[in-house]
Amino acid sequence: MSDVHERLRRLLLVVPYVSRNPGVSVDELARALGATREQLLKELDLLAMVGRPPFQPDDYIDIYVEDGRVYVDLDQRLAKPPRLTASEAVALAAAAEMLRPNEGDALHLALRKLEKVLPEPSRARYREMARQIDADPRGPEELVALSRAISQRLEVEFEYFTPDRNATERRVVRPLELRHRGQWYLKAHDVKRAEERVFRLDRCRDLSVTQRTFAPIRTTERSMPESVTGHGEVTVRFAASAAPYLRERYGDRVRSAGGGVVDLQVSGENPRWLVQWVLSFGGEATVIEPEWARRAVAGAAKASLQSARSCPSS
Amino acid sequence: MDRAERLLDLLALLLDATEPMTWAELRDAFPEDYGSASDEAAERKFERDKAELLELGIPITYVQGDDERKDGYVIDRDAYYLPDAGLTKEELAVLYAAGSAALASEAFPGRQDLAHALRKVAFFAGEHLPLPRVRVELGDFAGAAPHLAPTLEQLWAAIAARKLVQISYFSPRAQAVTDRRVDPYGLAMRRGVWVLVAYCHLRQGIRTFFVHRIRSLVMNQAKPRSPDFDIPASFHLDDYVASQPWQFRIHPPVEVTLELCGALAKMAAGAFPGGKVSRTDGGARVQLQATHLEELLRYALSLGKDCKVMAPEQAVAEYRKMAQRVLDAHADAHAEGAP
Repeated sequence: MSDVHERLRRLLLVVPYVSRNPGVSVDELARALGATREQLLKELDLLAMVGRPPFQPDDYIDIYVEDGRVYVDLDQRLAKPPRLTASEAVALAAAAEMLRPNEGDALHLALRKLEKVLPEPSRARYREMARQIDADPRGPEELVALSRAISQRLEVEFEYFTPDRNATERRVVRPLELRHRGQWYLKAHDVKRAEERVFRLDRCRDLSVTQRTFAPIRTTERSMPESVTGHGEVTVRFAASAAPYLRERYGDRVRSAGGGVVDLQVSGENPRWLVQWVLSFGGEATVIEPEWARRAVAGAAKASLQSARSCPSS
Repeated sequence: MDRAERLLDLLALLLDATEPMTWAELRDAFPEDYGSASDEAAERKFERDKAELLELGIPITYVQGDDERKDGYVIDRDAYYLPDAGLTKEELAVLYAAGSAALASEAFPGRQDLAHALRKVAFFAGEHLPLPRVRVELGDFAGAAPHLAPTLEQLWAAIAARKLVQISYFSPRAQAVTDRRVDPYGLAMRRGVWVLVAYCHLRQGIRTFFVHRIRSLVMNQAKPRSPDFDIPASFHLDDYVASQPWQFRIHPPVEVTLELCGALAKMAAGAFPGGKVSRTDGGARVQLQATHLEELLRYALSLGKDCKVMAPEQAVAEYRKMAQRVLDAHADAHAEGAP
């Protein structure tokens, strides 16, 4: 995309923004337009020179800064933004796809309305290009409902499966944030436990948004737990066949152990996760130490083998 | 005159015009830009300006005159201004949340387009918009992050313009980079990982490429405004991208039956998206198609003893072998050479 193109797109939004927000501060305007203060001041200088032939005094855009605030007196018919281009609409729709719009929900309706205001040539281009970008529509169905619950501060209830206890339990939570990392998580304040928890949405069932509102809660900026950090007390060794993929994923955290095999240090804080993770490599991963972790993996493999369907051929 | 300034002047002139403007009038209005050069050069310059305005979505057209009016260029004001789409607060909030999450994810194709779209959409919003907090993190691949965003941006441009690209693609298995010429058909994100689906001229077929494995990318610069290829009408992105590891198209599809018991049974649908779930006496039965059976078996093994592989026989046997392999490797800790 050329620089002129980007610049013009931004310039075409300046006059509309200031017309709608007269006296907006330079900093706020810069932020709204994704520009630095210096860039914006340069753009304002340029806009003040824009006008239409024959360039009489009244033919120019009259936009100016006074005491750090921006005003426009003559807008030369540029007080409203131009329509969405097809690419802009596709980018928006692709982002919306991530939250999995369902027929009839707010997101789905929003996209329909936006498509309607696209000019005809762009609409055809939009439809054509929309089938070329697909940002994971396979999230859980409840994403839009949960987004609404978060912004309107409505309590949510669901049945939650906890593998550690191999049990499900009804949870009442105050939803705070949706987060995608490989899969969708909900950060929420658990009412019964009176603390913030992170829930995996694929383990939630029978989710419903209640009508009960709650007062704003400050969410912690606590990051999601990360177990594969390259540190930790558990050493896992990987077969040579898995090594290239491990290196691609974990980079320098992977250490060569000779003969093509590689080692990775991981946290043993969550034994259930550790066992599951090692098993998910289907025999290409072996815990080297400590002993308790080796035993835990062996125990899980043994239990799976014992309960597995017996095989006539084996 | 600065090109951006000239284009804005031209826009202001045409937006204000009450009747079509002829080429002669435009040359008079911009004597320095369209007037001084040869006829041919001036016309080329104007054509380039017009193309730029069209790309910005500005509806500049040439109308044939009749008895009432003369020939000339016009910008239809109604078609230019963004109308209020009438989005409710709730619609706007969720749309904005999705858009902001995509922008914040650092690597989303069409970031600039998305940023502008959000600014335009927000134009009609009131002062305060209660935004749900949504965050999207991309699959993290050590060292890939710095290239990912610019590569996605280049692919977005190539997809929009339908231009051929030359990519250097890294294969972790071969530990080597190959150069491919591909027609980029589309981009899909699955579980936080971006995949390019493209017609590969080397393999003469549609192939998928992980965007984080693209080491460099060059878009065909010749004739930037004319497409290099057409996408077959029958093409569906979804036919080529796997959502789950067992859906990678490695082998012919196998129908697999699993049985889940205990609390896991209640979560069958969440654990196996796309699988057919039915209730049994003690739990749930899941039937699904796998084109990469080994990945399905690894996943089943990781779920523990409450997930049983029931059919076909080949899958049961392989599952047992896999579990046995893990058991053997962990059977005797001291013999394994632990320090």
